[in-house]
This record gives sequence, structure tokens and C-alpha cells, in this order.
Amino acid sequence: MQYNLDKQTLVPIDLEEEMKKSFISYAMATIMSRALPDVRDGLKPVHRRILYAMNELGVTPDKPYRKSVRIVGDVLGKYHPHGDTAVYDTMVRMAQDFSTRYLLVDGHGNYGSVDGDGAAAMRYTEARLAGISMEMLRDIEKETVDFYPNFDESLMQPEVLPARYPNLLVNGSSGIAVGMATNIPPHNLREIIKGTIAMMDNPDITVEELMEHIPGPDFPTSAQIMGRSGILRAYKTGRGRVIMRAVAEIEERGNGRGRIIVPSCRIR
Amino acid sequence: MDENHNTNTYDASQIEVLEGLDAVRKRPGMYIGSTDARGLHHLVYELVDNSIDEAMQGYCDTITITINADGTLSVADNGRGIPTDMHPKEKRPAVEVCMTVLHAGGKFGGGGYKVSGGLHGVGMSVVNALAAWLEVTVRQRGKIFFQRYEIGKPCFDLKVIGETQSTGTSITFMPNDTIFETLDFEFNTLKNRLREMAFLNSGIRIILEDKRAGREAKREFFYEGGVSHFVQYLNRTKHALTEQPIHIIGRRDDAEVEVAMQYTDGYAEAVYAFTNNISNPEGGTHVAGFRSAITRSINAYARSHGLLKEKDENLQGEDVREGLTAIISVRLPDPQFEGQTKAKLGTSYIRAAVDNMVSENLSTYLEENPQDARAIVGKCISASMAREAARHAREQTRRKSVLESAALPGKLADCSEKDPSLCEIYLVEGDSAGGSAKMGRDRRFQAILPLRGKILNVEKTRLDRAMSNEEIRAMITAFGCGVHEQCDVSKLRYHRIVCMTDADVDGSHIRILLLTFFYRFMRPLVEQGYVYIAQPPLYKVSKRGKDTYCYSDAQLDKILTQLGRDGTNIQRYKGLGEMNADQLWDTTMNPETRVMLRVSMSDALAADEIFSVLMGDAVEPRREFIEENAKLVANLDV
Repeated sequence: MQYNLDKQTLVPIDLEEEMKKSFISYAMATIMSRALPDVRDGLKPVHRRILYAMNELGVTPDKPYRKSVRIVGDVLGKYHPHGDTAVYDTMVRMAQDFSTRYLLVDGHGNYGSVDGDGAAAMRYTEARLAGISMEMLRDIEKETVDFYPNFDESLMQPEVLPARYPNLLVNGSSGIAVGMATNIPPHNLREIIKGTIAMMDNPDITVEELMEHIPGPDFPTSAQIMGRSGILRAYKTGRGRVIMRAVAEIEERGNGRGRIIVPSCRIR
Repeated sequence: MDENHNTNTYDASQIEVLEGLDAVRKRPGMYIGSTDARGLHHLVYELVDNSIDEAMQGYCDTITITINADGTLSVADNGRGIPTDMHPKEKRPAVEVCMTVLHAGGKFGGGGYKVSGGLHGVGMSVVNALAAWLEVTVRQRGKIFFQRYEIGKPCFDLKVIGETQSTGTSITFMPNDTIFETLDFEFNTLKNRLREMAFLNSGIRIILEDKRAGREAKREFFYEGGVSHFVQYLNRTKHALTEQPIHIIGRRDDAEVEVAMQYTDGYAEAVYAFTNNISNPEGGTHVAGFRSAITRSINAYARSHGLLKEKDENLQGEDVREGLTAIISVRLPDPQFEGQTKAKLGTSYIRAAVDNMVSENLSTYLEENPQDARAIVGKCISASMAREAARHAREQTRRKSVLESAALPGKLADCSEKDPSLCEIYLVEGDSAGGSAKMGRDRRFQAILPLRGKILNVEKTRLDRAMSNEEIRAMITAFGCGVHEQCDVSKLRYHRIVCMTDADVDGSHIRILLLTFFYRFMRPLVEQGYVYIAQPPLYKVSKRGKDTYCYSDAQLDKILTQLGRDGTNIQRYKGLGEMNADQLWDTTMNPETRVMLRVSMSDALAADEIFSVLMGDAVEPRREFIEENAKLVANLDV
């Protein structure tokens, strides 16, 4: 070998230090800007970038659908320097009425089913913004929120969307970061708005009084909630268990056989 | 020519004899290892060791270590005090003899100390030799004696400066800045070592205080439970199988043996051995005795209670040590060590002593606590099944490779050189970067192994599952050195194993997953410094067709002020795949221009703990770690 290895710069580093340093930067990035939603608009960065990119593309509810690939391509190339499947899967979930309580994306084509079928590949499906998303984005051009540069500093993207309703509570969110995780159930939009108004009228409102307006979560796939004590605990402490049961009926078929029909069950 | 010759004459006048403490100043490395931070802290341990020796005789129960506001350090104890009466031979007070003469001390069998960590009687005199100044105060026989030294020489004779009822020694010194590279005493470094000492010497109170402005801190260590407490402390980030550690104390002839052990549901073994308070990272006869004792006792118990059937094979040593945390502490006069650094105990009769004592006590414990015994044996048996499954998996990969003729993983782009000491292997994140690296490398001595995505976290995975993981297997076969006990560095195919990941947070994650794998499966590679971390540049700055690469934000700022910001184009590299092959070679892989980090390990205990906190099953300690360190975060971007 003709290389002179003495010329390289070798810096000794302690295993423990390197572990600490790398771990904390990964953990903080995951917590701050990947797996957990922002409390103001209830979105993780990838959701926010999809909605913003779609808005920039002009695929609003009054325009025709646009191919999913084009939307995904825009999100990747402009704002989200990661894998394409991650972006497409996120967009699909925002367009599935059994995954998202109030759809943020209006999809056209095969977006999968509650039985576990996946959506068609992104070259087949089409999408545009759903009506409620316009309330998430309204007035964004009027300097209502702060912007920050994208990965190559060629474009600006919003830090948060100027949401006009509490999307974190309405659509819920779940995510696993490092050392911490979140799982917030979705709620009924009407109830949340009523609760919000009640709280504006009386900032010292108690959880019990608030629950007169918001009795509990409202899942996209109906089913029954068994008992309300878990809900109260969740609202009071941030930690609680909501036990769900599928609704089932037995249908007699006359010949001595029957079948069990499950019109609604909670999946996730 | 003649003249030249004259000046080069090598005669008796050139043979130097270094007198006493001058020798220490001239070659400090021989006495304290090095003159960096490690050597600096070694001075403190020398003094504390002396106080501990006094405590081991039962004369002292409190040791206070203070980092003073002016950067000096004090060690005080309430022992008998260093003798202040006249030394019969030296005609000077004994304390002055201890301070100024090498190999003076009460530890050579003269009856002063029975057992001690120090062996050569050099500790205090070495500290004195390497200090800019040193003050010693001895409280003894109702009086306070005081003496000051500068650069090893006494400034005045030992004098009485007051009266007192108490006894003890207190030493304050300022390390010599012409010898040490740093004079900064680290609170955390001292804290870890002193905590260890407090664990090993139950009943001694060790107080550490930092009085420097802005860094004030105080910790007190006092553990009555001794090594049993130590094991509980080590296991606080893990789930233990039994409520209390098994604690064994005994004495054979003049050797004291203290062992505490507890099983956890983890997979790593954490056994630490100490002789007279000195850590023996390479084990020795006491560890050998301990190992054979637990293997025999647990096998005997499992057989006699039908947990192992007649046709079953015996449990192997590695099975009974999976998930075991243990401390073995022995005290004996005149211990023999293998090698200079006291890393391995060689005294042979200790083996039988530890073996007997542990097997007796462990058998009794298992008989008396059937529930714990069942949990422990169950754990060992499932470990042996996992080992069997892993061996099976290994053999299958080997058998398959006979047919395929090449034993190496398909994705490995090997180098043509066969001498391991010249070869290096790059572990690259993803196939996209693997392509750049493959094209950019020098194929004569650089091999590339692309890894797909995040590799398995081996801290949370059982051996057999880890062994069936494709990326893990690819690395094991490529390195060729084997894993765990069979890990043999001499079979390693590359002497530089380089983690080359993207300069983003996912790259950081893959790096810690790789380090976890190396540490848990191939620890000798980390211990002996075969593991490196490549440093790809973060930015490319181009101005008028000239490119400069920056490896840190600070460097970027410097270069920008040099070149001026106008007309410069800055490119931030997010991934290795973004670079052209020749760029990657120039910046990261060329042995003559690259920057690499070489991973080293100083404290096995701390390393073990950091891996179980960061990568283990328990979430709570991890969250605490994040909350404590959130402010340190260096590069936060997406």
C-alpha cells in the first residue's frame, strides 16, 4: 500500500460519549420533529408538509383530483427528504374514512378497506384536499404563522398550520418516539367546538363540566365504549384506558344455522 | 569528523541516575500511566487508596474529597494519621519520609497494614513529586502537625500549629502544570470511582464536594450493604428476577471474599471483579473460581430437582451467566497480578477459595429459596435453548456456504488484500450510499458492506433471534472473528471496522445500533480499538470553481469568514448517496486526507450502564436520561 496512514487525522472518542451524543440527537429529533404531533395543529411534520404541498399545488376541493405520485413527488422534493412510501402511506391514512375521523384528504380510487386491504399503488390513485383541510390552511398566506427554510434552504415551509379548529382533539394522533409516546383518540367536531366555546366563556371550567359538552372520544369506526371512568381519568390525568367492544348480531338463517354479523368494530 | 566524534562520545558522564522524586517527574507515565486527565485523577485515587487502607484496618470511617475553589484538591480522613515521630533510620519524621522517599510505607509486611490496594509504597510520594505544591496536616497525639512542600521539596520542617482531640490526615495539593496536560478535576469521573469504592467498603462514608464557582456540587456515598448494594445499583435500570441479590461473605485463611450476584431478565453478563479495591477488568483466578462454582451449583440443583432431565445436556457456563450481574471482591495480602496494570489476578489459591465459598453458599441459597431457584434455573435453561438454536442457525449458514462456495455475504464487496492489518471494512447505511462507496473506494484494501435500514437492537433481542437476522449475520461472517466467548481478534479479517453513516439523525441512530452490536457481541473489538467512525463532511462550500469541505459548523463559519459570503454556494450533505464517488473518496475514505474517530473504552461499568439505559427494555431511565440531557443536543434537524 502506498498510503501513508500517519497522514490521516485520528480523533480518539470515548464509547460512552459517542453513545450519549448520538443517542440524544436521535432521540430529540424523533421527539421534536418526527413522531409526536404539534399541539397547535395536531399534525406531525409529514402531515403538515403533505397538506401544505397540496395547497401549494392548488389541488383544492373545487379542482379536479391530481395523481398521488405527483403530490408525493412534490412533498419529497420540496420539503420531506425521506422515503416515498412513508409519505404515501401517511397520505392514504388521511384519506381512509376508517382511519381518520374527519378526512383531511379526499381520495379517488382504491384507498384500501377496513379488512386490511392496502391502497392501490400511488401511480393509480388520485387525491385532492378535503373541505375541512381548507380550515386548517385558511389565511396561511397572510403571515398568520412562522415559516422556516426547507432542507436545502431553497423554499420556506410553515412551522405550524393556522388551524381554525383544535385538530389534535378532533382527529387525535398516535406516535411512538424515543422514551415517550402518545395516543390521543379522535373526538366529535361539534362537541369539541361546543366545549371550546364553553371554555372560552369560563376559563376555570372543571373537567366534569367540560364533559357535559364532550362526553368522550368519537372513533371513525363506531363500536361501543364500555364504561366512562377511563375517559374521565384520561381527561384529568392524561392517562386512561377506553375499553371498546364490537357490536355483533346473530342472524338466524332458518335451517338451524346462524351467522354472526359484526356491523362495527374498532380496529387500529 | 573528529570533532563531531568527540561531542558524540558516549561515556560514563552521560549515564544519568535519577534520584528519588526526579525519576517520577521525568517519567510520570511509569507511575501514574499518563499525564492526561486519566493520570491527573490517578493522583486523587492514590491518596484515597491510602485512606481506604486505613479504613480497612478499622481506624477510619469518613473520607472527604474536596475540589477547592482555586482548583486544588484535598483529601481528608479521620484515621490514625500518618506517623509523625522520628524515623529511626532516616532521622526525619515518618510523614516526611513517606512524602519524599519512593518505596516508603507501611505495606511491606512490617505489621502496619495486613492487606492493601497499594503495593509499592509509592502513592503519596508520587503525588508529592507531581504537585506544584502540597500541604499535609496530621492530627495525632493531641497536636496538629503541618508541613508544606514545593515541587517535592519540604519548605520547612514538620511543625506543630495547634492542638486537637481528633486524629486524621488531610492533604491538599496543586498538580504541576508543567507535567499535566490538564489540571481540571472532573466531578463526574471522581464521582463514579468514589461511588465504586464506597460500595466495595461498606460502612465507609465518602464525601465528594466541588467548591469551584459555577460548578458547586456535593455527593455523599455510604452503603452499609456493600457489594450487595452495588449489584442493586447496577441493576436499577434492569428487571431483576429475584428481589434481593445473593450475598456471600467469607474468609479462607487470610483472604476475605465477598460476592453479590443477582439475575436479571436481560441477556448480557455483567460480572466485575476487584482485588483489594482495584478493578480487574481482565478477571483472573477469582473470576474463574466464581464461574466454575455457579455452573456446578446450578447444574447440580437443576439435576436433583428434575428441572434438567437425564437426557438433557448440562448447562454451559455462558447459559448460567446470561443476564447475571455480579461483583466479586477479594482482599488478600500480597496479591500477584499478571501484567503491569493489575488487570488480572494471578494468585492461584484464590480460585479454590472463591469456588468453595460460592458453591457452598449458592447451593444452600437455592435449596432455601425454591421460588428464586426455579426462576434462575428457568432463565438458564431458556438461555441454553437459545444458544442451541443460535448454534443451529450458525451451522446452517455454514453448511449452505459450502454449496455456494463463497462463505462471505453476497452484499459484501471485498478487497483484494489478504493481510488483515492493512484491510478496512466500511459499514455503509443503505444501498444508495453503498454504491457510491463501492465506486469510490480503493479496492485493494477497502471492503464495503451495505446494511439495509436500521439494524436490529441486540440489547433487546435474544441471541438466537439476533443470529437469524440477515444484517447481523452478514457482519459476523464478513468480520470472521466470531461472537461472544468465541470472539477471537486474531481471526478478524479487517483491522479497521468503519461505521460510515449519513450525517443526519438516522445516521446517528444506526451508529448507536452498530456500537451496541459490537459492544454486546464483539467486545474485544471495541476494547482494543478496532472500531472507527467515518466523518463525512457536512457542507461543501464552492466559490469560483474551488470546493472546500467542512466537517463541522464551526469550521463552516471559519471558512465563510475567510472566503467571504458573497458568491459562495453552500451545499449541505444530507446523505452519502448525494456525493459523487470521487467526492466520497476525497473527503471521507482517502487514508491520507480523511478524518476518523477511533472508538475507545475507559470505564466498562459506565459503558455497560449506558447501553442498558439507552438501548434496554426499561423506558423510565431512558426518559430520565433524555430529560437530563435534552439541552446538550448538537444537531437538531429533520
